[in-house]
Amino acid sequence: MTRRLAVFAALFAGALAAPAGPPTPTPPSTAVAAIGCVDCHLALADARVSPPAKLFADDIHARSGFTCASCHGGDPRTEDQELAHDPRKGFRGKPSPKDIPALCGTCHADAAAMKHFNPSERVDQLAEYRTSSHGKALLRGDESVATCASCHGAHGILPVKDVRSPVYPTRIAQTCNRCHGDATLMAAHKLPSDVYAKYSKSVHFEALMKKGDLSSPTCNSCHGNHGAAPPQVGSVSNVCGTCHTVFAEQFKASPHWEAFAEMGLPGCVTCHENHDIVHPTDAFLSAGKDGKCVTCHEAATEGARSAAAMYEDILALKKETDAAKAALRREAEAGMLVARAQFDLSRADEALTKARADVHLFQPYAVQQTVAGGLTIARTARAEAVRSGRERDFRRKGLIVSLALIGLSIAALVAKIRDLDRRKPPGP
Amino acid sequence: MSSGGPEGRAAAARLSPAAWLRDRIGWDGIAHLAAKKEVPIHRYTIFYYLGGMALFLFLVQVATGILLLLYYRPSATEAFESVQYIMAEVPFGWLIRSIHSWGANLFVGVVVLHMASVFFLKAYRAPREMTWISGALLLFIALGFGFSGYLLPWNTLAFFATKVGTDVPAQLPGIGPLLSRILRGGSDVTGATLSRFYGIHVAILPAITTLLLGVHLVLVQQKGMSVPPSLERKKPRAMKFVPDFLLRDMVGWMIAVGLLAGLAAFLPWELGQKAEPFSSAPAGIRPEWYFLSMFQFLKYLPAEIAGIPGELLGVLFFGALAAVLVLVPLLDRKASLGRPSPWWNRLALVAIAGALVLTVLALLPPPGQVKP
Repeated sequence: MTRRLAVFAALFAGALAAPAGPPTPTPPSTAVAAIGCVDCHLALADARVSPPAKLFADDIHARSGFTCASCHGGDPRTEDQELAHDPRKGFRGKPSPKDIPALCGTCHADAAAMKHFNPSERVDQLAEYRTSSHGKALLRGDESVATCASCHGAHGILPVKDVRSPVYPTRIAQTCNRCHGDATLMAAHKLPSDVYAKYSKSVHFEALMKKGDLSSPTCNSCHGNHGAAPPQVGSVSNVCGTCHTVFAEQFKASPHWEAFAEMGLPGCVTCHENHDIVHPTDAFLSAGKDGKCVTCHEAATEGARSAAAMYEDILALKKETDAAKAALRREAEAGMLVARAQFDLSRADEALTKARADVHLFQPYAVQQTVAGGLTIARTARAEAVRSGRERDFRRKGLIVSLALIGLSIAALVAKIRDLDRRKPPGP
Repeated sequence: MSSGGPEGRAAAARLSPAAWLRDRIGWDGIAHLAAKKEVPIHRYTIFYYLGGMALFLFLVQVATGILLLLYYRPSATEAFESVQYIMAEVPFGWLIRSIHSWGANLFVGVVVLHMASVFFLKAYRAPREMTWISGALLLFIALGFGFSGYLLPWNTLAFFATKVGTDVPAQLPGIGPLLSRILRGGSDVTGATLSRFYGIHVAILPAITTLLLGVHLVLVQQKGMSVPPSLERKKPRAMKFVPDFLLRDMVGWMIAVGLLAGLAAFLPWELGQKAEPFSSAPAGIRPEWYFLSMFQFLKYLPAEIAGIPGELLGVLFFGALAAVLVLVPLLDRKASLGRPSPWWNRLALVAIAGALVLTVLALLPPPGQVKP
């Protein structure tokens, strides 16, 4: 405790010595109790001042020993409002949006200060924020943009890992949508307001919200959190590639990489969209209404032929794999043991997945190679199903022969029994 | 025929090989016994075939079991794969394994029917009390065969059902935990349990069965076939065991072979998934059908009854039932005196009906579970 006091005393002294700028929070101190602020603010019927007092009880800062005065200044030890809110005692009231990042950064950008609360906590949030679209706009004087409190809250701030936190992975999209779904506000910034609606149709949303996969991306995964900004055209594949590493590598090795760069097309999202990323299908390669290649490559061009070749190869493998699966399933349902063949067939599924990934090389030969391997596996499995079917037929034919022999034996026994009965003298 | 001394040895030396063999194994004595043995003919004669059928199915189990032993490997790492190999690679392995599995179930079913017929025909009355007691003990041995054999393929269903089954004796005060530990070969069902169950299945139980079955068959020969009390005074006709009854028995055995072959060809016994001891128990865990009524009964018991653990009371209840079953001939005094004992019949009917209802309830899907 002594060390903590010393650190915050030093911080406080440093803050006083600093040139005039945004207000700085007072560090926690055992001598300064929040009770004075909370007692009065809870008792007041004013809806502007009592809710923050209620919320602060559950705030991570309150639990770490910070008080209202740490951020707002003033003297919480007195019950006199004038004295408590005396600017001479550092009272600064409600910080304006433009002051909030620096106010929070007083501690959160100070590695030495943060070490006393969470040594593994990052301290680059303020620096990142200043690179963000939000931070840059704020610097230009636009106070409608998000600051720390817009996302994390002001008084009931919860740890990021707390499921109730507005910045918990499953809640981030809704938090961002509070502003980015506001059509008026977004129109003022010349931004679309349907991003959340689109995202909620995506595979990422489904994985995160319906399947509970917290590793699935939400807004900050692609845009950054404190440094939130739209990815630049040239960096889209890098951003997607942080998770989809194989696709990103293949795309960079493909003829599309340079062509897209020359045409100023934003990599992955050209075919997969950005927010409404639906589950890709093999039909992306087709010349039909779901086809993506045909949007750039006209029919009968080399690109269209390549797409058609890859499409046919993948469909052929899928058809063969499905047929083998169905044949083995029929055998299993008939009681035949085909577990090994079913296991081997799973490698054909792997080949199908790999062939679909190989599409991102945009070289039909690569897909063809992978498909050929998968087809061999699927055909072997199908042959195993046929062999199992023959074995099943053999068993049933064998049963017929056995039953015939058993029937003959029974007939012979019955004949013998009747013969013996006939020879017996009549009973009493 | 044979006698000691030089004259006897000289006579024996003049015998043909067949006569020599007959002399050495005492064939004439056996033939005399067989010729003397008779089976009463009356409207319940059909039930006499159940004993022979049980014996035949037991011999099928012995024969198929020995063949399975040639390929089966009793370890947690190899058991499942060895059964898979038997089913998929060994010529006619699928047939042998399926007949062994189906045969085990038919055997238990026939033994139960055999005991029920003996019970209701009052064949346990004096002087055949010991025949009944040895038979009842053989029923428990049959259940032991079923329980120990169930685990041997080391599949998921068997693994978790054995976990539940070996936990039941642990409910007994004092020796319970030790008994469970002895059964499992440790505190949990592991490869050690598999080795132990294998030993019990192929060595310990067969040895006990040989002894008990020998006693049971000798007693059946000594005391002859029982005639129900209601028919005893009518002095029913009889047929020779050899060849009349034996030929009819053989017809039944042929039908059983046909049934087993049909089941093996059309409904090969499933192998399921290999047991994963560290995974959670899958839904629908249940033992073989002949343990289902007990399994369901234990499920219905509350955690405590009058301060006594419900499962302990359940185990004690089944223990008492087993003791009553073994000691029926001594408890049913009226039957021993040749008088009707309707209360025992009613008690048995209630027990059978209860077991049937509980078995059906255990087979029904749990409430709220929809079949996919």
